[in-house]
Amino acid sequence: MGKRLQNLTELIGVVVVLQAASPQPRSPEQLQAGQRAFAAQCGFCHGRDAMGGETGPNLTRSAIVADDVGGDKIGPVIRDGRADKGMPPFRLSDADLAAIVAFIHDQKIKSESPGARRSVNAADLQTGNADAGRQYFNGAGRCATCHSPTGDLAGVAKRLQGLELLQRMLYPSRARGATVAVRLPSGELVAGALAYRDEFTVALTDAEGRYRSWPAGRVTFTVDNPLEAHADQLGRYTDDDMHNVLAYLQTLR
Amino acid sequence: MTTCTTSWRICRRSVSAALQRCAAWALSSLAIVGVLAAQDAKDSWTTYHGDYSGRRHSSLTQMTPANVHQLTLAWAFATGQTQSIKATPILANGVIYISAPDHAWAIDARSAHQLWHYTYPANEGFHIGHRGMAIYNDSVFLTTPDSHLIALDAKDGKVKWNVTIADAKKGYWSTNAPLLIRDHLLVGVSGDFDNLPGILTSVDPETGKTQWTFYSTPPPGTAGNPSDGATGGQMWMTGTYDPESNLLFVGTGNPTPVLNGPVRAGDNRWTDSILALNPDTGRLAWGFQATRHDTHDWDAAEVPVLVDGSFNGTPAKLLMQASRNGYFYVLDRTTGRSLLTTTFATANWATGIDQDGRPIPNPAKEPARDGRLVAPDESGGTNYRSPSFDPKTGVLVVSAHDAYGIYFFRSDHGAYGWAGADYGVFGKSILRAIDYQTGKIRWSHDLGEGASAAGVLTTESGLTFTGDTAGNVIALRTSDGATLWHSGIGRVGNSPITYELDGRQYMLVAGGASLYAFALPEHR
Repeated sequence: MGKRLQNLTELIGVVVVLQAASPQPRSPEQLQAGQRAFAAQCGFCHGRDAMGGETGPNLTRSAIVADDVGGDKIGPVIRDGRADKGMPPFRLSDADLAAIVAFIHDQKIKSESPGARRSVNAADLQTGNADAGRQYFNGAGRCATCHSPTGDLAGVAKRLQGLELLQRMLYPSRARGATVAVRLPSGELVAGALAYRDEFTVALTDAEGRYRSWPAGRVTFTVDNPLEAHADQLGRYTDDDMHNVLAYLQTLR
Repeated sequence: MTTCTTSWRICRRSVSAALQRCAAWALSSLAIVGVLAAQDAKDSWTTYHGDYSGRRHSSLTQMTPANVHQLTLAWAFATGQTQSIKATPILANGVIYISAPDHAWAIDARSAHQLWHYTYPANEGFHIGHRGMAIYNDSVFLTTPDSHLIALDAKDGKVKWNVTIADAKKGYWSTNAPLLIRDHLLVGVSGDFDNLPGILTSVDPETGKTQWTFYSTPPPGTAGNPSDGATGGQMWMTGTYDPESNLLFVGTGNPTPVLNGPVRAGDNRWTDSILALNPDTGRLAWGFQATRHDTHDWDAAEVPVLVDGSFNGTPAKLLMQASRNGYFYVLDRTTGRSLLTTTFATANWATGIDQDGRPIPNPAKEPARDGRLVAPDESGGTNYRSPSFDPKTGVLVVSAHDAYGIYFFRSDHGAYGWAGADYGVFGKSILRAIDYQTGKIRWSHDLGEGASAAGVLTTESGLTFTGDTAGNVIALRTSDGATLWHSGIGRVGNSPITYELDGRQYMLVAGGASLYAFALPEHR
């Protein structure tokens, strides 16, 4: 999008904001301040337009942003960071924070207008063949080894649509996690949800919700990670396979 | 062994042979004679890469595979910032200079005592990270998020001068650690979100005056269409230098618009390229394009590592790069001719390799309306984290990333800036030791899920230092990649360095927003 168009979109965005029955009116000055502060502090990860960048998600499609009223959800995330997702905390003045929140909401409104850039619509993804996808699901893709259209995937297309369904199909990072069985030097076997693992430490959360860790070299353990099959499959999908399986999943309503 | 004195003004031992070894560490403009030898100034690390070759290989041998398990914390320095340290520290005259966006610190290399802290005024440039500083006589140099270059007095951090390198209002920013070659300070910038020509500027380190500007893509008003309509090709990483041929080697970034390929059909020279320039004039000697017509944000800005080795049994002056597109290149650095091209990380975007050693892009993997599953993802098969070359075993040790992303483009995404959308799907990090003569992987060491941000350091005693994705700094045996030591210091975001002061070797690495100096116990 050229500068001219970008500016036009900004203008339209401001008009939309002024017309919207927003509980917190946003002045053009605040939006400009928010745009500048966002670009400097947030832009590289989330994109200068808040529609996603190198490491950060598209905020205009974020559930947190959708639920936010006047910064009540976004503010704590900015101030505290999200260590688990690699986002650092930011120290900002109240005015800068409010301006950034206003800018993000404004971008969300713009992104929902026709022609917005850097977005993927569900309609874009409708190139697959559901029958071929079903065959792949039950055959070469080996999806049916773990999944069932009448079991865990029943109604999946009602819960997830478009890009989110595609992303979760490829690598469902928020799906059920890995489990681990740890054999202690005493011979005792401890099993639970895998809570942490690196080269040196293995940890689980046991049935009572307690966190327990051991030096990885002093115990023997077996990890069962159902997501490994998804990671392995990434190297096997053709683009047609990917679109076909998506088309099939979209029939599971 | 000849070493530099602690004076940074001049390397005092003798004139020619000693200078050849002290070379890059002697910071008088007269004394700067870069060499490709291993780092010999034990008490210094005065450029981003540690020397002109970009090998990040140290001659220090106090830490060994046999004793490295005893490493202990000598000191820690907390910057107090929320952003993690991505910079390589530089060290001269017992003082460490470390940077973050808008910030520079000078600290005592023996104690972490802070000598000064400089804060640049609040500005609207991108604050994504900072790679490090440069030093020349009594000045240290800091690039800023709004594309300025600041000369600070090394003694007290006071501003000597402040010049504009590129127009931040147009969308340029800088994270660059400048490279000093004689009286040329070479400064790069970034700028992916606007259609901007790629700029490398040579600045007089005394005055800040611009000496020359090199454009990797045509500046506005250029006749003809040499880049097929592409802009971009930013030189945001620090280059390397061969004093014998007087050639500066620098990698260029991706073309813009980033994901919209149709609007710039063609190879898009000199984006995603390794370029050889004359540092006195900025004139191009040769170029090699690592990715033709890139539509996936894969820079070839990664370190062009210089090695005097052999190839097919013949002595050769080589340049090697593990590039963000997942391919490993070995070139004859006197001509830019390809000697070897092979993958070192998962890559599914090329149909083969052409006669010039360039991968042939598969048009079916260009971003599309319904999405294309592509390896590597946008963050690449590697990135700014530095590799290290170990001469003894003949391997380039690279922090690799096997990763897939989905890439989208439709015509209404436009032709400006990003012009498309892409999303990482899954990736994992693996340290790989690449045999430079064959491209074969000698050994691999898993670093965990996600992308490691840690670079690599090797030492003459056979040690490799890097970081994993879980926040451990680790020491491995260079011969086989076996783990010998680790410490959980938080996410390692820079490339480790090493130096020796008062007879004690230190390994310096950043975990989160702090610097940690590790050493062997004093009373062993």
